[in-house]
Amino acid sequence: MVENKELIKVVEETVSRDDVKYVIGYKRGTYGFQIKPAFAYSAEDAKEFFYSPLCSKNLATYPLLEEKLPLRRGEEAEHKKIGIVVKGCDSRAIIQIIQEKGLEKEDVVLIGIPCKGVIDPKKIAKRFPKQSKFVDVEENNNDEYILEIGGTSHKIPKDELLSDVCKSCEYPNPPLYDILIGEAEEEFQPEHFNRVDELEEKTIEKRWEYWEKHFQNCIRCYACREACPLCYCKTCMADLLEPQWIRRSVNLSENTAWNVMRAFHLAGRCISCGECERSCPVNIPLMELNKFVEKEVKEMFDYTAGLDTEEKPFLGSFRPDDPEDFIS
Amino acid sequence: MEQLTLPKEKLPELLGEIGSKFELIGPKEENGFLAFRKINDPKEVNLDILLSRVPPKSLIFQQTETLFTYAKGKDSKIQTPKIDESVRVIFGIRPCDARGYDIIDPVFMGKKEGDYTDPFYTKKRNRSILIGLSCNEPDTNCFCTSFDDSPANSKHVDILFTDIGGTYFVEIVTEKGEDLIKNLSKIFSKATEKEGTIRKETEKTAIKAISRKMNTEGAVEKLNKMFEHEFWIEAARSCIGCGICTYLCPTCHCFDMQDESTLKLGGRVRVWDSCMYEEYTHHASGHNPRPSRMNRVRNRVYHKFNYFPKNDGIFGCTGCGRCIDYCPVNIDIIEVIDKVKEVNV
Ligand code: SF4
Ligand code: SF4
Ligand code: SF4
Ligand code: SF4
Ligand code: SF4
Repeated sequence: MVENKELIKVVEETVSRDDVKYVIGYKRGTYGFQIKPAFAYSAEDAKEFFYSPLCSKNLATYPLLEEKLPLRRGEEAEHKKIGIVVKGCDSRAIIQIIQEKGLEKEDVVLIGIPCKGVIDPKKIAKRFPKQSKFVDVEENNNDEYILEIGGTSHKIPKDELLSDVCKSCEYPNPPLYDILIGEAEEEFQPEHFNRVDELEEKTIEKRWEYWEKHFQNCIRCYACREACPLCYCKTCMADLLEPQWIRRSVNLSENTAWNVMRAFHLAGRCISCGECERSCPVNIPLMELNKFVEKEVKEMFDYTAGLDTEEKPFLGSFRPDDPEDFIS
Repeated sequence: MEQLTLPKEKLPELLGEIGSKFELIGPKEENGFLAFRKINDPKEVNLDILLSRVPPKSLIFQQTETLFTYAKGKDSKIQTPKIDESVRVIFGIRPCDARGYDIIDPVFMGKKEGDYTDPFYTKKRNRSILIGLSCNEPDTNCFCTSFDDSPANSKHVDILFTDIGGTYFVEIVTEKGEDLIKNLSKIFSKATEKEGTIRKETEKTAIKAISRKMNTEGAVEKLNKMFEHEFWIEAARSCIGCGICTYLCPTCHCFDMQDESTLKLGGRVRVWDSCMYEEYTHHASGHNPRPSRMNRVRNRVYHKFNYFPKNDGIFGCTGCGRCIDYCPVNIDIIEVIDKVKEVNV
C-alpha cells in the first residue's frame, strides 16, 4: 500500500532539493477513473499528488519530451534533475533508456513505487460507465478493489479489473530507484500473457485474418509511439520522407507495415508497460505483438530488457553462440 | 416539417429497402467500438453505442483521398478519379456529428459565390442523405448543449429519428429527406399530437442527462488577450502530442499532400494531418514556427475557440466529448476553457 501522505512528503523533499527542477507524478483527473500526469515545481504543487491502482500511465516518456530551447551565446544548459514517480515497468523504461544512452542516471531522481498492478481503464469504465466525477479506487489485503459511487461502496475481485500486462508482470518492484515509498512487494508468480498463447494456437491464416481485422482500423495517429517511453527517436522512420519507408496513405498494407515495424523496433527494448495498447484509440491489441517479440527474444537470446543500465542493448550486442537457425 | 412514426420492429424493413436502392452506411460494432461502415444486412446496425469512435467526418473528408494518378513514361497522362455522385444514405448519425459537417463545410465548400470548392468533399457531401438519430442517453462527456445544440436537434440532418419507446418519431427536415421518403414504400404513419409531445419530453429528459457544461461566454475575447501567456506552457505540459484529440474530432480538418509512387505508377494523395504533431509545421529549411508542445496545444484551442468564431461566427467544437474521452493524459477541453477564464491578463 502506498500512503499518499508519505508520497507527498517525499515529493516535497525531492522538489525542494537544489539540484531538482521538477517532479512528475499523478493527480486526480477530471472525470470517472481518469488520472493526470502532475508536475510539481514547488513543495506546494506536491500537495495534489496521489497514487492509487488507477495510476497506470507510464511517466517515463516525459523527460525526453521536454523541448530543449536553443541556448543564447554564453548561456549554459541547465543541468538539473527531473524527479519521476515510477512503478516497476516505468523504472525499467528508464533503465532501458539509460542503457541506450538516451538519458543518464544523473538526469533523474526515481521515486519508486512497489506496484501491486494497475487497473485497466477500459475494463473499469465498462464496469462503471457514465461517471462524470472522479472516482478513486483502493485495494484491500484481500485482492479486492474498493470504490465508492454515489454513497454505495463496491468491492470487485482484483482479477476482474487488473490490466492484462500486470497479470504477467515479473518485476512489480522498481529495479532502479533512489527513494522507495513503503515496502517492496513480495515476489509473486506471474501468469503467462495468455493472449499470446491463444494467438499461437491459431493457424497462420487465422492469425493473419485476426491482424487484418485490427490493422485495417489503425488511423495512424501514432499515439502508440508518442505514449511509448522507448519510442524517442528524434525522427521516427515513419515520419521520414526521403526515403519514405511507410507511405502516408492509410490502408491495410501501410498500416501493417507501420505496426510490424514498430514492434520490431521495440524488440529487446519494450518493457511491457502496456502504455501503447492503452492509448490506441481503436483498440488494437498491440501487446500481443510486443509480448510475442519479448518471448522470442527471451527464448532465443535469453535477454530481458530494462533490468541493468550497464548491460549492452539487445540489438547492439553479439555473442558467438547466438542462435542462427532462423537464417536459411 | 412532416412528422411521421415508424414502429421500431419495422426498422430492418426500412433499412433493407434503403439498402436495396442506394448505398447504405450505418454504425456497426467492430472490435469493441462503433464504426460507420457499409451496411449489407440491417442486423449489422448497432444503435446501442452512442458515438462512433472515429467521427463520420471520415465519410466525407476521407482520411486518404487520391486526388490524381499518373503513369511514368512518354504517354503518361494525369488521371483524376471519378467521384461517385449517386445517392448515399448515412443512417444513425448523431446530431453533434452532423453538426460537425456544418462547421467544416465553409472550409471545403467556400462561403460565398466564387470561393474555391473542393470537389471531393463537396460531391461526397451532396450525395449524402443524413438520417440522424437523437441521443436519448447522452454519455459522460457530452456537452452539445453548451453550444445551443440539443441531443435531439433536427437542424443538421435531412431526416431525424427519435426513439419514443417502441416507436421512432420521424421528422422530415429537408427536401432531400422528403425525396428519399417519396422513394420508399409507405411504411410510415402520420404522427399524432400525443406522439409529438412524447418526443419533446424525450428531448427534455436527454438534455437533463447532460452533466458537463462548457462556459464559452467571453472565451473569444479572453483568448484575444492571452496568446503569449505562460498559461499555455502549463496547459501543454502533459501533452504527449499523440494527435488523438484531432483525428477523432468531428471538426478537425487539417490535411497533408503527398506524392506516392512505385516505379511505374504514382499518385497524389491527401491524408489527414494534425496540428498536434511537431512535423506539421516543420519547414523544409528546418525551422519550425511551432517548436514546442505549448505552441501546438495553444493552436488547437485557438483554432476552435478563437479563430473559428472570428472567421465563421461559430465555435469549432460540437461538444461530442471525444477528445476528452480518448486523450491518454486527460487534457480536458472543458477544463482548459474554464482555466482560460480564470487567467489574469
Ligand atoms: S495508436 Fe493505434 S491507431 Fe494510432 S497508430 Fe498506433 S496502432 Fe494505429
Ligand atoms: S511498446 Fe508499448 S508496452 Fe512496450 S515499452 Fe512501449 S508503450 Fe510500453
Ligand atoms: S517506431 Fe522505431 S523509429 Fe519510430 S520512434 Fe519508435 S523506435 Fe524510433
Ligand atoms: S474539440 Fe473535442 S468535444 Fe469539441 S468537437 Fe472536437 S472532439 Fe468533440
Ligand atoms: S489527445 Fe491529449 S495528449 Fe494527445 S495530442 Fe491531444 S491533448 Fe495532447
